[in-house]
Amino acid sequence: MLETINLSKSFKGKKVVQDLNFYLNDGESVGLLGPNGAGKSTTISMISTLIKPTSGKIILNGVDAVHKPGEIRSVSGVVPQELALYQELSAYENLKFFGSIYKLKGTELEKAIQQALEFVGLEDRKKDLVKIYSGGMKRRLNIAAALLHRPKILILDEPTVGIDPQSRNHILEAVRALNQQEGTTILYTSHYMEEVEQLCDRLYIMDHGKVIAAGTKEELLSILSTEDKIKVELSRIDEDIVQQVETIEGVRKIEVAELQLRIIAAKGSNLISKLVHLTEQHHIQLINFHTESPSLEDVFLHLTGRKLRD
Amino acid sequence: MKSVLWAQFLKDKRNPLLILLFIAGSIVATLILGGGVQSVTTVAIFSEEANASEIEEKWGALLNTNDSFKFEIVDPEEAREDVRDGSSDVAVNLSEDDYRLLVSKRMPGVSYVEQHVASVFQQEVQISAVESQEDGNVRDEMEEYLADAPFQLESQGVDGEQIPKFNIRTQLLFAFTFLISMFIIGFKVNNVTQDRVSGIWDRMILSPVKKTGMYSGYLLYSFLITMLQIVVVLIMFKYVMDYDVGNNLWLIILISACFTFGMISIAMLITGFVRTPEQFYAIYPSLIPLIPLVSGAYMMPGTITNPVLLFIADLFPNAHAMEAIMSVVFYGAGLQEVTMSLLYMLLIGIVAMGVGINLVERRSS
Ligand SMILES: Nc1ncnc2c1ncn2[C@@H]1O[C@H](COP(=O)(O)OP(=O)(O)OP(=O)(O)O)[C@@H](O)[C@H]1O
Ligand SMILES: [Mg+2]
Repeated sequence: MLETINLSKSFKGKKVVQDLNFYLNDGESVGLLGPNGAGKSTTISMISTLIKPTSGKIILNGVDAVHKPGEIRSVSGVVPQELALYQELSAYENLKFFGSIYKLKGTELEKAIQQALEFVGLEDRKKDLVKIYSGGMKRRLNIAAALLHRPKILILDEPTVGIDPQSRNHILEAVRALNQQEGTTILYTSHYMEEVEQLCDRLYIMDHGKVIAAGTKEELLSILSTEDKIKVELSRIDEDIVQQVETIEGVRKIEVAELQLRIIAAKGSNLISKLVHLTEQHHIQLINFHTESPSLEDVFLHLTGRKLRD
Repeated sequence: MKSVLWAQFLKDKRNPLLILLFIAGSIVATLILGGGVQSVTTVAIFSEEANASEIEEKWGALLNTNDSFKFEIVDPEEAREDVRDGSSDVAVNLSEDDYRLLVSKRMPGVSYVEQHVASVFQQEVQISAVESQEDGNVRDEMEEYLADAPFQLESQGVDGEQIPKFNIRTQLLFAFTFLISMFIIGFKVNNVTQDRVSGIWDRMILSPVKKTGMYSGYLLYSFLITMLQIVVVLIMFKYVMDYDVGNNLWLIILISACFTFGMISIAMLITGFVRTPEQFYAIYPSLIPLIPLVSGAYMMPGTITNPVLLFIADLFPNAHAMEAIMSVVFYGAGLQEVTMSLLYMLLIGIVAMGVGINLVERRSS
C-alpha cells in the first residue's frame, strides 16, 4: 500500500501542494481530479520520487519512499503529462530504448515490446517514426513506454489531453483492462470528470494544492444532495398507486405525466425496492426507471463555486 | 550508458545529414577561407610611382622569398578592381621604401601577408640604414656572411625528418575544423537539455540506469561523433588534399581528443546555466566563435599580445590545442613537449564538467 502523510511542496515559497493525505491500496483504481494548476502533476512527481517534497512523507509498504526511492521506482510505471518520446525514432525503437534502460534484454525485451504495442494497439505502426504519429497515437505510445517493466502501480498524468475520442476510448479501455485483468494498481490524473467516473473506484478532488473532497463516487455525490430524483415509467397509472407511492417514507413530491411518475425522495429512502414491491401488488409493470443524480461536475461546482473546466 | 549511447546514435543514423554537413562544412571552410587547394597564394603588387616598373621589380624580388606566397606584378587598375569586387583579398601598393595594403575583407590569410610584407620592408630599412653610414656593398657582404655563418639554423624533426615550414593554411585547417567541432559538440550536448525538457530524462531517472551512466552516455556520444568529424577531416586533408599535417597523426588525434573533452565540458557548463534547449541555442553559438578569435586561431602565432586576451584564451581548450598542434606539425614536438597543453585541456575539462553537472543537478531539485 502506498500512502502520503501531510505531503506538501512549495516552489519559491509558493505552496503548490498542501498537506496531502492520500492512500492507494493494491489493485485499486484511484482518480486524482482537479482543474489546471491544482497541483496534480506536482503530487505525482513527488509520489514517483522525481521531486522531493518540502515536507511530509510518502510511505510504500511501510518504507519511507522519499529517502529510499528504489522500491517505488521499481514497482511503478509513470506516464508523464508531456510526451516523453524520441520523435525522430520509430515506436519500436523508442520502446526498445525504454525497455533497455530497465535492463530488459533479448527475447524478454522483444516480448515486452510486443505486448506493450498490442496493448495500446500500435503493433502495425511500430516501424513508423513517432513524429508522423497522430496526437492520439503518441499518447498511446507514451503509455506503452511505461508498461515495459510490468509495473505493479501505474501512474498516469492526464494521459488523454487533447486527443480524439477513438484514441481516448482505447486508452480508457486499456487502463481498465490493466486494472481488472492484470490487477495493476492505477493512479489516474485528469480534469475530465467522465474519465475518472468511468475508471476509478475512488477519487480525490484537488484544488489550489489541497484535497477538497475524497471518497468513492457515491460518497462524493452524497456531499451534494440529500435527495434523489427518480423517473418511473409504468404500464398504467391510476389514482390508487399514486396515493400509495405518496405514503412511502421519504417521498417528498410526486408529479404524474402520462405513464411517468417523477418522484423526489430523501436520499437512502430505499425507494426502488418499495416501488417494485408496490407495482407487483397492483399488477402493474415497471417498464423503466431512471435516477437523475447530480454529477461530480456538480460536486466540484458545489465545493469551489467554479467549474472544473472552462 | 550503452542504451543512452545507442539511442543517440540511432537518432543520428536516422538523420545523418547534419553530421555530414558539418564535416563537409569544415572542409569547405578550410578550402575557401584558407586560400584554396593550391599551396601558394598569389598576391598582386603594383606601384603608381613615376619609376613604377623599377620599384615593382626591386620589391617583387625581395618579397618572393616565402614559399607560401607568390607576389605578382599587376596593372594598378586591375589590382584595385580585383580587391574592390572581392575576387582577391589583398593587394600591395608599393612605393620607393613604403607600402600600402589594399584589403577587401579581413580574411585570416591577410594578416599573414601583412606580416610577411612588413618584415621584408623592415629588413630593407635596416640594410639601407647601415649602407648610408658605411660604404661598400653591405648587402653582398651580409648575404655572403649569412651563407657561411658561424652557426647554421636548420629545422629538423626529432627523428631527423624534414619539418614543413610554418604555413597558415595548415593552421587554419585546424582552426576551422575545431570551430565546426565546437558546433557539433554544442548540438550533441544540448540533447541533455532537450531530453530533460521532453521528460525522457525523468524516465531514465526512474529506471535503474544510474546518473553517471546517463551523463556518460550523452557525453561519450558527443565525444565519439566529434572525433569522427575531426579524424575524417584530417585524413581527407592529409591524404586527399596533401596538406602538411605533420608526421605524427596519432599525437594530433590525441590532442584533438583532449580538446574535444575540454569543449564538451565547456558546453556542459553552459548547459548548467540554461533551462531550455532554445536558451542554449541562443547563448552557445554566439559565445563559441569568440573563443578561437580570442585564442588567435586565425592569426599568426604571437599576433595577440594583450595580456587580458591571452589570459581569457588560456581558460579555454582552443588556445592550448592550437599551440600543441602547431608545435607538433611545424616543430616536430613529441608527446613530452605537448604534455603541459594536454594537461591544461584536461584540467579545464574536469573543472568545467564538475561545475556544469553540479549546476544541472541543482536546477532539477
Ligand atoms: N518547477 C516549478 N516551479 C515553480 N512553480 C511550479 C513548478 N511546477 C509547478 N509549479 C506551479 O505549481 C502549480 C501546480 O502545478 P501542477 O503542474 O502540479 O498542476 P496540475 O494540476 O498538474 O495542472 P495541469 O492540469 O495544468 O497539468 C502551478 O501553479 C504551477 O505553476
Ligand atoms: Mg499537470
